[in-house]
Amino acid sequence: MVHGLDFIETEPAAAAAPSGAADRILAGINAIVVKLSSAALVAASFVLTYSVIVRYFLKISTDWQDELSVFLIVGAVFMSAAAIQAGRGHVAIEAITGLLPPRLNMIRQLAVDAASFVFCAYFAWKSWLLLLEAWEEGFHSGSTWGPPLWIPYSLMTVGMFLLSLQILLQVVHGLRGWDRIR
Amino acid sequence: MSVLSIGLLYGASTLAVMFAGMPIAFALGAVATLFMIFFMPGGSVDTISQNVYEEMASITLLSIPLFILKGSAIGRSRAGQDLYSAIHVWMHRIPGGLGIANVFACALFAAMAGSSPATCSAIGAAGIPEMRKRGYSPGFASGIIAAGGTLGILLPPSITMILYAVAAEQSLGRLFLAAIWPALLLVTLFAAYAAWRYRREYRHAKALHLSGGARSELLTENTLSLREKLQLLPRVVPFVVLLTGVMVALYGGYATPSETAGLGAVLALALIAGIYSVWKPADLAPILTATLRESTMLMLIIGMSLLYSYVMSYLHISQSAAQAIVELELSRWVLLAAILLMVVVLGFFLPPVSIILMTAPIILPPLRSAGFDLIWFGVVMTIVMEMGLIHPPVGLNLFVIKNIAPDIPLSDVIWGVMPFVVLMLVAIVLLCVFPGIATWFSDAIMGA
Repeated sequence: MVHGLDFIETEPAAAAAPSGAADRILAGINAIVVKLSSAALVAASFVLTYSVIVRYFLKISTDWQDELSVFLIVGAVFMSAAAIQAGRGHVAIEAITGLLPPRLNMIRQLAVDAASFVFCAYFAWKSWLLLLEAWEEGFHSGSTWGPPLWIPYSLMTVGMFLLSLQILLQVVHGLRGWDRIR
Repeated sequence: MSVLSIGLLYGASTLAVMFAGMPIAFALGAVATLFMIFFMPGGSVDTISQNVYEEMASITLLSIPLFILKGSAIGRSRAGQDLYSAIHVWMHRIPGGLGIANVFACALFAAMAGSSPATCSAIGAAGIPEMRKRGYSPGFASGIIAAGGTLGILLPPSITMILYAVAAEQSLGRLFLAAIWPALLLVTLFAAYAAWRYRREYRHAKALHLSGGARSELLTENTLSLREKLQLLPRVVPFVVLLTGVMVALYGGYATPSETAGLGAVLALALIAGIYSVWKPADLAPILTATLRESTMLMLIIGMSLLYSYVMSYLHISQSAAQAIVELELSRWVLLAAILLMVVVLGFFLPPVSIILMTAPIILPPLRSAGFDLIWFGVVMTIVMEMGLIHPPVGLNLFVIKNIAPDIPLSDVIWGVMPFVVLMLVAIVLLCVFPGIATWFSDAIMGA
């Protein structure tokens, strides 16, 4: 049951052991992404700490630090979404799910996964169009530093694409499980 | 379709997909997207990813993962046990001192780690066995820890507060300051209750022993040498310095809230490396993975919640609902009570992040027009959410306690926390009668 802000102590269900080639490849990608995203979070902390130090001690005005941290953290969040989904780490309300008989619950899970897939794939596609537009039109952020926006948009697009793929695999597993039961 | 029917449909479809068990982030995003397609001008939906990105790319919101990193670094080290032991050895001679020490340890740890369950498990893992060994009843011991842990969402840097500041467009620094005295009020109430309850259990145990019953551990006096008292300090002082240093950086005007988050995370990582030798990639990996898991889950919910409220506002659902509430012309206290009750009920199903972001556009305008200070309300609403962490049916902290002390029956834990739920209600009533408890400190530091 979802209740607090912090789910840190509630360990996620272990990801299903990868069986097919697609599972193995995605699990491999996720493992690398988690390492890179962790490094990005730590890097963002150091960038912000650096920002305090140069502004306070060296009296140098800071312009790029906040934005770089935003890119690092947004990138980490979107890129690791698939790895979190692999362990079913995106919380859901489970008030009813526990009451359903197992077969019905299996259908429910399949339907929910399919709907999640449609949404995430749609979002990934819209992100891709946004990325293309930002690339072709040369969008830059409005700050004094003004970095190109294709950088965060590409992280969002790739992250949502991986997430869609992860959910699609879970749908496929659900369908196979259903076949076995029947 | 009228705004009312669109609004009802919006609410009903959200409930339907969420209760079907779709992850909250995707459920909010999917409903918002469908309503963009069907009810908003053609082409609106083309910008969904841009909307989500722009809402999320706020440095204040993105400080959340860094505060989680700081909390996770401290929460997964031995800092909790050490902090608890240090406070315990200094306070154990006071009657009820052990219980009070647990309350204080929870408050300090909550302020460092910023997480309720992490506080419960870190302090409770050492505190509950110790209290039980000294004869405290299991329910009382678990009540202290469960309630003390909830301070994590009230004391700065609380994630709940960060979101409220963003949703209500209030100053985060001011909100953090406004929470400090109410948190101290709660600590005082909890400690006073712990001392009172101890005396009652002590008298009871004494009477039982005198009438020939078993001798409870409560009656045993134990003393510790000054040497033992001083030994623990070097391990604890750095963390207290971290806590105060980060707050000084924020309020001394040296750092913005997000820079404070980055600085706090770096210092926490440095401290656990220095004190507990946690610095190898293999040691850090669990801390970082846990941070990433929680941050990604939360930030996606936040991003999609913001898209959800954008659609709600574009379709005039939130404005009409707010207007309708204002037109009811409820007395201000009835209005407040009704809104807080709604927060409690929503808390049965949704995490505070979604409650705040989804309801803010509807509940804040009527509260403002009824003359409530929104900083003050942020504090009151957070205390209500703290209650949600410990009251049945779903209080998260109850299950954390169950996890660290599996032999205590859940009914004992629930009865043990009930007095603390009442104390939180008392604090809310006090805040209503004397709103200055929350506002005077922030006004004094940051100007009225």
